[in-house]
Amino acid sequence: MTSLRRFLSTGEARAGLAMLLPLIVLALLAPVLFPGDPMAIVGQPLLPPFQESALPLGTDRLGRDVLAQLVHGAQTSLLVGLAAALSALCIGAVIGTIAGFGGRVADEVLMRITEAFQTVPAFLLALAFVSVIGPTLASVVFAIALGAWPAPARVARAEVLSIREKDYVAAARVVGKRPLEIAFREILPNALPPVLALSSVIVASAILIEAALSFLGLGDPNRITWGGMIAEGRTVLRSASYLSIIPGIALVVAVLAVYLLGEGAAKARLSKRSYA
Amino acid sequence: MRVISTTRRELLQGAAMVAAAGFAPKLAFAQDAARRLIVAADSEPRNLNPAMIASNGVFFVSSKIVEPLAEASYDGPNGLAPRLAVGWSGSEDGLSATFKLRSGVTWHDGKPFTSADVAFSAMQIWKPLQNLGRIVFKDLESVETPDETTAIFRFSKPTPFQLVRNALPALTSVVPKHIYETGDIAENPANTAPIGTGPFRFGEHKPGEYYKLVRNENYWQKDLPKLDEILYRVLPDRAAAANAIEADEIQLAAFSAVPLADLDRVSKIEGIAVVTTGYEALTYQLIVEINHRRKELADLKVRRAIAHAIDRDYVVRTIFLGHATASTGPVPRNDTQFYTSDVPSYPYDVAKANALLDEAGYRRDTNGRRFSLRLLPAPYFNETKQFGDYLRQALAEIGIDAQLVSNDAAGHQKAVYTDHDFDLAIAPPVFRGDPAISTTILVRSGTPDGVPFSNQGGYVNSELDNLIDRAAVTLDEQARIALYQEFQRRVVDDLPLINVVEWNFITVSRWSVKNVSNNPRWAVSNWADTAIDS
Repeated sequence: MTSLRRFLSTGEARAGLAMLLPLIVLALLAPVLFPGDPMAIVGQPLLPPFQESALPLGTDRLGRDVLAQLVHGAQTSLLVGLAAALSALCIGAVIGTIAGFGGRVADEVLMRITEAFQTVPAFLLALAFVSVIGPTLASVVFAIALGAWPAPARVARAEVLSIREKDYVAAARVVGKRPLEIAFREILPNALPPVLALSSVIVASAILIEAALSFLGLGDPNRITWGGMIAEGRTVLRSASYLSIIPGIALVVAVLAVYLLGEGAAKARLSKRSYA
Repeated sequence: MRVISTTRRELLQGAAMVAAAGFAPKLAFAQDAARRLIVAADSEPRNLNPAMIASNGVFFVSSKIVEPLAEASYDGPNGLAPRLAVGWSGSEDGLSATFKLRSGVTWHDGKPFTSADVAFSAMQIWKPLQNLGRIVFKDLESVETPDETTAIFRFSKPTPFQLVRNALPALTSVVPKHIYETGDIAENPANTAPIGTGPFRFGEHKPGEYYKLVRNENYWQKDLPKLDEILYRVLPDRAAAANAIEADEIQLAAFSAVPLADLDRVSKIEGIAVVTTGYEALTYQLIVEINHRRKELADLKVRRAIAHAIDRDYVVRTIFLGHATASTGPVPRNDTQFYTSDVPSYPYDVAKANALLDEAGYRRDTNGRRFSLRLLPAPYFNETKQFGDYLRQALAEIGIDAQLVSNDAAGHQKAVYTDHDFDLAIAPPVFRGDPAISTTILVRSGTPDGVPFSNQGGYVNSELDNLIDRAAVTLDEQARIALYQEFQRRVVDDLPLINVVEWNFITVSRWSVKNVSNNPRWAVSNWADTAIDS
């Protein structure tokens, strides 16, 4: 619990949580707060915000409720961010562990593949993948994970390389545990913390990449996304700029919150080390 | 600063050269070079040969270089004005059509234009290669050239002269025989740097930047063109086109390059005119294509329910911001020859749509859904995409769960017209003045897979096919019109596709541009009389 308290004692973590928690609550409560289809046409088109109490943030070009879309969009953004980060971390951790523990050939092969992925910008990779496979929620998540796994893989490998020389690993080997068991039971759990530290960066960039894909029309067209909302609003940027600004602010808040949480965690770890 | 010094150096060099060559009077001409019109272009077709690809994207640039036999006109007889042909007539039996050609016309490379060029273009390009000519000229057997200014088209089956006449502006761009007669026509370098008889010659194309057209000093019409240069600036982003015209960086944006949502604001700016005419012969239709292979959609009641579920007034008001008209059928209202309003109608009525679906046996499940289907909106226009969003909601109202599938242009064409991998699709076909040119193909069965903007929904109606075939060989104009009115009634009654709205584009231009929109295909006409005040 002390680490949690240390984490919460940092200003960054508190600010991040203050921004992220409401977003998470809203996203979770979206089906309750705005039941039914958020894309339903509910009013007169291009109603500006703060004009009608039933539609506090106004309506878009087709007369759809901007607030309902924003809340449902939070669901998509956070879901994609977390799912992509989780898959990237899993892929990265597994590949890093195998590379670090599997011997020279496996290491060489896997690290060259990792480098190949690292040389292609993550966004271009996602763009190419989605335009070939077609935009669905799953393909977007996978496309983002595709560009995000090399960093955790490299960190995991570095950790594994140092851990595999530790005495308890030698002990496990002496006891007769099989290599795979040692890798995933003994080494991986101990190599994870620094890998997890990358998660906030990955989540933040995943949210941004998802928004950028949707902005370019490569998001799942059947789901509301913030990037899609900004793209929709772009055609009326001069006459109804709120349509782009509102989801833009939401995007900034979400990314900033995740980033601040990551900073908070890093600070908490640093202060722990200085105590020790 | 560098820019200024370069300009000054160039200016000095230019002046020095002029002085050295003793061309003092040319200085006045150099001032004329300011007669340059800069236009927004939103796409960059690679093949600029209008004889091969009769599409507005190609015409927009190439119609200034390569001319057709006749152009559409507001006041000419039968809505036509002569271009390379000065007279035309059809025989009683519909088996021949005679064109009297203009004499004294030369190609941009100096060679004379003759009837041989027309014969070559018709037989080697329009009929075998052109997207629209394949249909209209399918029975063209030969083109006789008794002298240099006469071309006689011989048809193997009666071909209504009304159809040939209506096809003249879009389908009869004449290209030079001496350039195209050797080698593969599709690979000819003149496809990317066209050579024609028009008021402008092809200058250069910098991909991603601009097309430049320059004045043809030997144009057959004396004192024309009134411009020295047309520059098409490639501005794929529509918002950029609006800003560029406001800043006077471009002087003209055609084909609604300025988004509809900005028109109201732009129209209030001093110096900018919003012109809604000049596209009457290029009416676009917003249609819902239906895949009749789906058993639900093969049921007429379901198709009628969908037609009743669409609020056309909402589409006109909200998506087109008033710049469109609700459709009644496959021929647009602004057509003067064939249109009839005497067709069945499907007023917006959700209750009736629901009743029809219940009647067809597709009851709502516990989630209120009857069945789900895939909806593919064409990505070409903002409006087609927005209508996709709207149609999804309209279908949800009647218990049909539509899943949007978005593709890029190539992917969309493949999915719909080659793979038939769709249930409903949204398309923007063009009505080109005669139903036989590009409209009946939307419902006639028997078109091979892969032909865009044709019936690829598996709809087969032999009665309708017969009607279309009969109309195609009916020579009497009144009888032909009556058949096409029957065609409209049958299509609206049986709904092989659903016509939603039809729209014409909008031109935004600076006041300095003169003679804008003075014919019904203005944006894709030759712009010989277009002028600019500097």
